[in-house]
Amino acid sequence: MGDYAGIAERIVSRAVKQGADDVIAGIGVNRSYQVRFAQNEPVISNRWREVGAFAGMVVQKRVVGTEIKDLDRVDEAVDDLVATARKSQENPQYGGIAQGPFEYKQSAPDPKILNLTDGGDLVYAAINAALEEGAKETAGSFWKYDNETFLHTSNDAVGHQRSASLSLTIRALMGPESSGHDVACATSASAFRPEEAGRHAGEIAVLAKAPKQGEPGTYDIVFEPLAVGSLVNEVGSRASAFAVLAGLSPFKDKLGEKVASEGVTVADDGSADSLGGRSFDDEGVPAQRNTVVEKGVLQTYLHNTSTAKLFETETTGNAGFIAPEPHALFIEPGDWSRDEMVAEVKDGLWVTNTWYTRYQSYITGDFSTIPRDGIFRIENGEVTEVWKDVRLTDNLLHLWSQVDGFGKEAQQVKWWYEVPTPSVVPHMLAREIGITRSAE
Amino acid sequence: MSELDLVEWVVEEARNRGASYAEARYENQRQEQFLLKNGILDVLFNGNDRGMGVRVLYDGALGFAAGNDVTKDGARTLVEDAIAIAKSGSRKQKIVFTEEPGVEAEWKVPEKKPLLDTPIEEKLEAVNHIDRELTDLGLNLAARIFSWSGTGIDKYFVNSDGAKIRSYSPRARMLYFLTVVHNGDVEQGSRQLGYGGGWEAFSAWDAMNRVLDEARSLQKSLEKGKKSPEGRMDLVAGPQVTGIASHESCGHPTEADRILGREASQAGKSFITPDSIGDRIGSDVVTVVDDPTVPNTIAYYEYDDEGVKARRRYLYKDGLINEFLQNRETASVLGTQSNGAARAVNYNVEAIVRMANTFVEPQDWRVEEMIEDVKDGIYMKSFSEWNIDDKRYNGKYVGREAYRIENGEIGAPVRNTVVELTTPAWWSAVDAVGKDFEFEAGFCGKSDPTQSLDAMLGGPTIRLRDVYLR
Repeated sequence: MGDYAGIAERIVSRAVKQGADDVIAGIGVNRSYQVRFAQNEPVISNRWREVGAFAGMVVQKRVVGTEIKDLDRVDEAVDDLVATARKSQENPQYGGIAQGPFEYKQSAPDPKILNLTDGGDLVYAAINAALEEGAKETAGSFWKYDNETFLHTSNDAVGHQRSASLSLTIRALMGPESSGHDVACATSASAFRPEEAGRHAGEIAVLAKAPKQGEPGTYDIVFEPLAVGSLVNEVGSRASAFAVLAGLSPFKDKLGEKVASEGVTVADDGSADSLGGRSFDDEGVPAQRNTVVEKGVLQTYLHNTSTAKLFETETTGNAGFIAPEPHALFIEPGDWSRDEMVAEVKDGLWVTNTWYTRYQSYITGDFSTIPRDGIFRIENGEVTEVWKDVRLTDNLLHLWSQVDGFGKEAQQVKWWYEVPTPSVVPHMLAREIGITRSAE
Repeated sequence: MSELDLVEWVVEEARNRGASYAEARYENQRQEQFLLKNGILDVLFNGNDRGMGVRVLYDGALGFAAGNDVTKDGARTLVEDAIAIAKSGSRKQKIVFTEEPGVEAEWKVPEKKPLLDTPIEEKLEAVNHIDRELTDLGLNLAARIFSWSGTGIDKYFVNSDGAKIRSYSPRARMLYFLTVVHNGDVEQGSRQLGYGGGWEAFSAWDAMNRVLDEARSLQKSLEKGKKSPEGRMDLVAGPQVTGIASHESCGHPTEADRILGREASQAGKSFITPDSIGDRIGSDVVTVVDDPTVPNTIAYYEYDDEGVKARRRYLYKDGLINEFLQNRETASVLGTQSNGAARAVNYNVEAIVRMANTFVEPQDWRVEEMIEDVKDGIYMKSFSEWNIDDKRYNGKYVGREAYRIENGEIGAPVRNTVVELTTPAWWSAVDAVGKDFEFEAGFCGKSDPTQSLDAMLGGPTIRLRDVYLR
């Protein structure tokens, strides 16, 4: 292993000597491993051995960044970047980077995960559990994430963190229109339960057989955690100060206002144990818990030092390269079981997953997303039918204001484009949500 | 050993270690990007991403390893990794690739004004100029975003079938996203422009007029836009709408890896099955193609990332499902040949079945002729929200710039017209295909790890008869 901490320090000192006012240098090491599977067998196994440097610097309020994959060229790349900055334009809104030094809470990655070189048994545990439930076909991915970061800034933030985790996503199918989906995520090998994900995906697939076309209308909906994860990711990403400034958020001008029902409390917490856990953000600010929505009221946007200055507040420790971003989202659980939620619904749906969320207007929050996998009709507290081909068409603020309760147990979910930020979320019941359907 | 020699060595090394097939891809991607947000340059980025990916077929299982230690030791480690994980991912159903000729070739996209050698100051000024003209319109612009990116992809591909292909592909992209407010009401519009070639991209796009026209049309919608009527009527869809429908409702469902279930857990499957070739999907005026060989597109290539020669693919032809997008693995399963659709977004991910430039083939109608013949309908020039289910059957497009058509005349703007149709319903309703043509750039998302790939989508204006709109 190279002296990555030394390279980060060298980037900073060289850039400062060349005239940079603020410098952030990070070295990222990726040693991850993945098995993709389909039709109940592995289709490809992937392994990465990558080391790359990132340098962000500011020269007279000109903000520039670079990625360097050839670490032998670091000096040259730094010189080029300083020269590029001099040709660039001032950012009058630039508000600096955080002042260190900082002390970081360190948690050691599970050695059992670091030492894992063959995920075959874990993959087959999920596949076989789904097949035992009666599913005919499975597909998914197993991931061993192993990432390390060395950070050094010109404001004396110096940090090192290594994280390791396991995740598995599995979709089980009974036929072309009957499927179930679940994920397993853990930061310790002993807490990783691929067979539970497989079993649950298989159960839903079997329940979802012979679906009929759904009917447009307004329904109470019980959401599985996978769907809640996708919806809460919309809260997290729209709460970024960047999104607010760019016209990409319905939360603009809503600090201190009600944006959800009283039962909704959402936090972003990079300091907690999750797949998004970390010691510090991209500026070196220690990760912390930020309550974004408390009892339905918007408490804060997610900030880096620069956006915080613009909004006359403090950084929330959410710096990303350009935009502040959530690390890991948590919804405060309630006291319902899923069965109690279903029993409570007179005229509604049980939605197990959603995908392809898109906005008509980011400012108003009008959007739609598509329920996929098991979609179940609930009438008078009982599941009566299986549906297909419907679309959830509503408004983000309206949807969260219609939340009537959460499950008592939270599940950690992370899945592809749909749940990019790991989220620890329970079941959710929302009332009178819009459902539409395609015309023939 | 040079990086290129290393690519050849690594393939040989993998074969020596027992791989029945091996390929290696070295990529050096030079990138420059900037983001102008509300008139302020947020950040200017330039970077150099380079490394090598090695894929092996070992006892019928695939292993892929990627890294950026481009030395002999680093390359040897990648071979060891790829073979070790292929062994651990063994299969009952052995993966087989189709036989394809091992081509030696070199291709390069021509640049009138080399993209990455053009000074960054010139690019910054060009985009700033648009922003100044935009603000001079005097509209209440609550937010305005411009992003520029220029990428030069230098690639060397070698496989154990004898292919040795060197290429250089410069790609320019610009995105704008505008938010206009009027009397407390808001409209948003965006577009992605793409070009394969040099800095001449900027004039080819006519970016200034596009942005100013978009801003004016947003204002017009706010001032004069009416609620879109509900019911069955005709829809005249502009090239941007035709393009997204081509991509979502034809390109994706004809990807053979989706049809075979390889993407089931992520991007999904398809309503199309291996037996669907020849089935009717639309009216006989509908022909949708995917073609990587269209010059000056960001998805242009001459050979794919498995070394197979690129060609035009007729996915839907005369209203019938005609051809799937194939790589060497899917083609082998389906008993055909690859049609050169294997692409990877970078060295560190496997090549999978992808679209390139997907569009409806133009025919002979003028837009005015299509509109003249509509008694009651909507002219949807562009869209805002869109999505489609993972089997690519239930699509939705919401109009951004749209107008009422009554008795053959274009009338007032209408807001947020929704067309929510099944794929066969969409293509079966088409009765006229225009002679106009326009492309838009897109990022196509697929695979795991996610690969957001350069694609273009487009076509002419088309007319759909008697569809339900709201």
